[in-house]
Parts: sequence; structure tokens; C-alpha cells
Amino acid sequence: MALAIAASVRSFATPPPAPGLAETSSNPQEQGQNPAEAAPTGPFSNLSRTGFLLGDMFGLRPMLSKAGINFSLTETSEVLGNVTGGARQGFDYDGLTTATLTLDTQRAFDWNGGLFNISALQIHGRNLSADNLDTLQTASGIEADRSTRLWELWFQQKFFSQNQLDVKIGQQSLDQEFIVSQNAGYFVNTMFGWPMVPSADLPGGGPAYPLSDLGIRVRAKPTDSFTVLLGVFNGSPVANNSGDPQQVNPSGTSFPLNGGALVIGEIQYAYPALGSMVYAGESEPLARTYKLGFWFDSESFADYRIDSTGRLLADPASNGIARSHHGDYSLYAVADQMIWRSNDDADRTLNGFVRIMGTPQEDRNLVDLSLNAGLTLHDPLPHRDDDTFGIALGYAKVSSSASALDRDTGHFTDSNYPVRSGETFIEATYQYQLTPWCQIQPDLQYVFNPGGGIPDPRADHKIKDELVIGMRVNISF
Amino acid sequence: MALIAATVHAAPRGFLETVHKHITRCSTISENGDLNPYAIIVAPASVGKIHEGDVLIDNFNNMSNLQGTGTTIMRYDPSSKKMSLFAKLPAHSALCPGGVGLTTAMTMLKSGWIIVGSLPSTDGTTRTKSDGCLLVIDPNGQPVAAWTGPNINGPWGNMATIDHGTTATLFVSMSGLDVPGPDVKDARGYPIIVKKATILRIDLDIPAGQPPKIKNQTVIAQGFGQRADRDSFLIGPTGLAMSPDGKTLFASDALENQIVAIDDAPTRTTSAGTGRTITKDGLLRRPLSLGVAPNGHLLTCNGVNGQIVEIDPAAGKQLYAQWIDADQAQSPPGNGDLFGFAMTPDGKGFYYVEDDVNALVEAR
Repeated sequence: MALAIAASVRSFATPPPAPGLAETSSNPQEQGQNPAEAAPTGPFSNLSRTGFLLGDMFGLRPMLSKAGINFSLTETSEVLGNVTGGARQGFDYDGLTTATLTLDTQRAFDWNGGLFNISALQIHGRNLSADNLDTLQTASGIEADRSTRLWELWFQQKFFSQNQLDVKIGQQSLDQEFIVSQNAGYFVNTMFGWPMVPSADLPGGGPAYPLSDLGIRVRAKPTDSFTVLLGVFNGSPVANNSGDPQQVNPSGTSFPLNGGALVIGEIQYAYPALGSMVYAGESEPLARTYKLGFWFDSESFADYRIDSTGRLLADPASNGIARSHHGDYSLYAVADQMIWRSNDDADRTLNGFVRIMGTPQEDRNLVDLSLNAGLTLHDPLPHRDDDTFGIALGYAKVSSSASALDRDTGHFTDSNYPVRSGETFIEATYQYQLTPWCQIQPDLQYVFNPGGGIPDPRADHKIKDELVIGMRVNISF
Repeated sequence: MALIAATVHAAPRGFLETVHKHITRCSTISENGDLNPYAIIVAPASVGKIHEGDVLIDNFNNMSNLQGTGTTIMRYDPSSKKMSLFAKLPAHSALCPGGVGLTTAMTMLKSGWIIVGSLPSTDGTTRTKSDGCLLVIDPNGQPVAAWTGPNINGPWGNMATIDHGTTATLFVSMSGLDVPGPDVKDARGYPIIVKKATILRIDLDIPAGQPPKIKNQTVIAQGFGQRADRDSFLIGPTGLAMSPDGKTLFASDALENQIVAIDDAPTRTTSAGTGRTITKDGLLRRPLSLGVAPNGHLLTCNGVNGQIVEIDPAAGKQLYAQWIDADQAQSPPGNGDLFGFAMTPDGKGFYYVEDDVNALVEAR
């Protein structure tokens, strides 16, 4: 059918600007004077699709944006509880508010490649793992002592035309860049973020949420496929390694530099890389990222079994002062691999991940091996592109030295003192995007041999296996 | 002989294998925080605030990331490597039904006039979309006209343009007619597909010193599938590119996952339906913007991975694809990141936008 139609459109082609369009100037400084423009971006408007609950934050966001500043405010709140096992049963609420301010130096000062970042945490609620579970692998990655604290404070500078090198200096939380598995990040358990070995073995659990550490990190991309990360940080995120590290540095502002050095390095291989070619008729490789890394900390580490005179620590004749060792290290590997891609729905993919970390120095480490592995399915239901279903497991092996301490304790106390071995958990989770600013995440975890097999303080047996259920909500303000 | 053989052997089969660098030039976020860069064009002439070779980029979302609400056009100057605001359009105007949400449909004429598509929404979905319009902007960033009418309903994909100075022909895909919101679904649970998308040819007269005037408009193709999408706003025919001989218009049919040809596009007076299939499936994964490389091959960005695909239209064959966005934060990598691209003036590369990080990238 012929559909040629002669000039039937409305046209307002008479300069100067047509009245309706000329009413608003194109001068950005005058835009705020047009009341009609505020409506779509205001707080609580268009809640079904806006990316932020507070929209433009009463004009704060656009004002900051002009200066190259981005402000984000997020809340993660959850209720988790164990309905079986544990030292006791019950539910706890805990939450985390994170405020982050970044400044793009190109927009702010016409200085290319610079980024300034500062973030703060407000941690509230209770801690289920400490209250009820007594697990090594704590149930939630946001569990921490109640506090309001500085988290990260750093400046990053990129170099060269394709950003082949960048340097970050300042207070950094290493779980943001090192030992990261992309697919593990969907899960709730702490160990899918910062893993068990450094959490148990590094001073203060290492510079990871909610702690951070002064240092410098260099990232280089010798080729499009390979990235090398190397960082040197203070040996401990706290000045004093005795006691609760979060209480030792309660506001995150002590900036200790008195310890040894923590050196951490990682080499990453990724496919696809920028510029990778895919040829017609050939099967296309699936996306993957492999990482190999190490950390070494030059601080002093206490022996788990032997005292400073060579006696067993469990021996009543021991002086109770553990033998001191210089330094500690660990090696690790991380693999993320796409396993399957739907032909019917291109957003639907199945991905797997494995992360393993170990240390041969069992005398000075509580956990000498940790493993995480799992599967994630994106877009699991029709037209749920932003949802993810996942199932995964975590394993932490108690070192032979710590197990021997338990045996020694049983021997010297003439009791059946439980000997710790390993702790395993499985987790199933579904991340449901209610709106772009709100995600709801029901979660289920089951823990085998909590704490590796530690005694129940209220009974004459080990803590029984735990079923943990709960719900997390993420909100972007 | 050996040298000659080696030289012949080394000759590139296509364009993409000659592209090795991907340089992030700058952020595309406007001063008012507009996000989600869609259209990208290279200025063909120096007029007003624009220098020949400048790159113009529009934003589809406002700072709350609501789709169909972006009102800004940014200007990147390759000589100074600076990005600046070129135009800030009013969010609401009686002249453009429903307001302004700038799409991938944008072109600049040699005379300096910029024509850009608007497909506005008030809630970020097609549920509240309006018919939209084509806005005419002068080379100083001032809007001077809005074209509406029964043939203009959801001007969406990148335009193809034939520009003779005092006359010009635009080709625009229209992907809005009768598209409901994303919650109206079919039996499989996906938003329903409405096969009413068209390609409109608009013939223009451009009087000296005055904005272009529509001389004629003709629907030259129709019946393409279009549907709402929660993340991409809508999916429909998106990319348009004119063959080097100026006779055939190529179009990316995103839902059918194919590239089609509309023969005699500048002169035909009838609709070609959904055209003639050039290539389908293979490396294509929801093809979006379309362009022509210096060797005459077609390039198209994939919507659901970070690849750009090269196609020999004469042979109807896909050569290969290159990953130009390999971000594994999305699955598959680069999913939903790519939209517009434009060849660089020297023909050695192309500019493209990454809408996940709101950046302009130059590949060469």
C-alpha cells in the first residue's frame, strides 16, 4: 500500500524559537527556574522505575553533579535467624547505611584521570553470628559491631591513553578489589566477599569491611586480557592487635602505620577482553575470569599450639604466652566462568565460580584452607532480567595446629573436649528487583559443624547444625 | 613472490580487525546529571557552536535514570578533548507531545541544523510514553521547531541521512505505535510484540538561513516487531544506514535478530514491508545501531552483549565481531551497554557510547 503523505506533520519552523520551546532557556543555569522540570526527578516520584528513592535529593544531586561530585546513599537491612541448631535460636535485625562521595577531577578541575573517594558506614542492629550461631563463616557480609565509621578515603589516578596503569593511594578496603569473585557477590554470607582464610588469620581479619588500611595499590594492564594488581598496606588495620579490632579503631580514623607490611598481589585473566574477535561460524567461547594471587604479612603471628618456652599451650604448666612467628602468607585462586547461555532469552545465563585459598603455615593460622563455589542463574524467570538465583557452598578447614590444641585440651583436662575440624555451609538465595532502587532477597543457609565443631557453651556437646533463614532488602536513596 | 604472497595474505578481510585501541575519552553525564547516552553523531560542518568533527551525544535518561526523560545533548571537541553541554531542552513543551526524552534518532545537516528524536515517558516505561516528536535545534543549541504527526510515533533508532545542502532526506525508524507498558505480557510472560513499527522517509527543503521544512514524508517500510522492555525501554527496529551507492537502506530488526534491506529507499513511493533479509542470527544478538565502514561493510552493535558485528551486505555474510565492551559486571559481558556509534571522520575508527558507565569511547 502506498503511504506517501505530503507534509502532514505539524511544523514550527519559524525562527526565532517557537513560543512553546522558547519559554525555557537552554542556559543550564536557568533550568532550575522551570518548575515543570523538577517533577520527574523529585524525591519519591516515579517510584516504580526511578533509580533512587530520593530522586534528585531535593536538588542536591544536580548541584553536586555540576562540580563533578557524585553522592550515593544506600541501606542494606536484613532479618536473619536460625530455626535449628546454634547456641540458641532466634532472629536478629541488622543493617548498614553506606554513604559514598566521589569527585571526578576532570569535571571538577579539568585534571584528567583522577578520582577522589570517601565513604562512611553506619552499622546498626545485632549480630546473629555472634549472638546465636558461633560460626566461623558468618552468616551476613554486613554483620559488624554497631558503629559510625569512616570506611575508605583514597585518590586514584589513571595514566596513559587506554588507562593501562592506575595508582590508588589512601585508606582502602581490600575486599573491593582483591580476591573478588563477580558471581559470588550475589550471596549473603560473609565468605562470598572477603574469604575465610584472611578473615581468620590476618590481624584484625585484614583490611576488609568494615575496616580499611593505609597503603598504595598499583594496577597495570600489560595486555587487554591481563591485569596485574599489587598493593602494599600497613600490616594491620588497627594499631593494637589485641581485642576486638573494630573497638580498637571504633571510628575508622586512627590510620595506623605502626605495624609491618601487608603485600598483596593478583594477576587476572579475562575473556572477553576489549578487542577480542569472534569469527562467524565458530563457536563463541563463554565469558570467564581467572585470578591467581598471594598475600604476605610481615607482622608477628601467635602459634596456636606451642608457647614461648616450647610447651603445649594446653599444658597447665604452660606460661600461656604463645610462641611468636614472623610473617604469614597465603596463596589463592578465583575462577568465574559462564557455563550456559540461553538461545531463547539472551539475558538468561548460568555462571559458576570457585574460589580457593590456603596457607601451609598451619602453626600460626586458625584456618588453613577455605573454599567457595557456586552457581548463579540470571534472568531465571521470563522477563525478570535483573533477578538472580544462586546456590553455593563454603568450606573452612581448621588448621591441624588448632585441632591439636583441642586434643591437647582434652588430654590435659581428661575430657572429651571436641576437636575442631572444618565447617561447611550451603546457601540458596534469590535476588528480586522490586524496583531499580529496591531489591528484595530471601535467603536460606544451612551450616554443618558450626565453628568447625566447637562445644556448645550451654551443653555437653558440639553446637548442632544450623538452618538460617532470612530476608535482605537493598535500597538506593 | 614470497613478499607479494605475504602482503596479500596480510590484507585485512574487513574493517574491525584493523581496530586495536579503545580509548575512553570522557564522561557523557551532563551538568544536570542526565544519564544513558544513546545517539552519537559526528558533525559534518562547522556552524555556530559546533566545529566539524565534533561529536554530539544525547542522553535518554534523567539523573534518576528514568528512561524517556533525558533532555541534554553533549558536545565533545576532539581537538581539546573536552566535553561540554551543547543543548538543554525543556522537559515539557506543548509542541512535543508528552515532553522530551531524547533517543538514538539524531542527525546534523551540513547547514548546521540538528534533528533529534524524542520519545518521552513520565515514569520511565512505555506505559506512559507519548507519540513524541522530531525536534529541530539550531547550531547554537536552541530548539526552533518540533515536528509531529500521524507518521511520527516513537522516533527511535539512529538516522540515515542524504544531505545535498539545500535539500536533504532523513530516514527514521518509528517504534512507538500502540506499544503498551512492560507489564502487558504474552502467554510466555514477555511483553507483547506489536508489529507496527515503520521506517519513515522525510524529504526536506532547507531554505538559506532558515530551519528545514518537511516537503514530503513516506512510510517506506512497516510491520516490524516492537515491544516494551523494562531495562531497554523498548525494543524495535533501531539502526539505519544508507548503502554507499545511495540506493539501499539497511535496517536492524532487533526482535527478529536480523539486518534487512529496503531497496530504492530514497525514491520508492510504496512500503517495502519488512524488507529483504540480508543476514539473520549468527553473531547478531539484538542488533541496534547500524553504520557503514569505509570498506562498504555494515557494522552493528549488539544489544545483549558488548560486540560490534561486521557484515558484508553484498554477500549477505557476517565476517566477525569484536568485543568493544567486555564488562563482566553484566551477563553476558556488556549486556545492555551499547547503543549508538559513529565513524570517525578519518575512517580509521569509530566513536561509541557505553551507557552502563556513561562514557564516550573511541575505537581505532
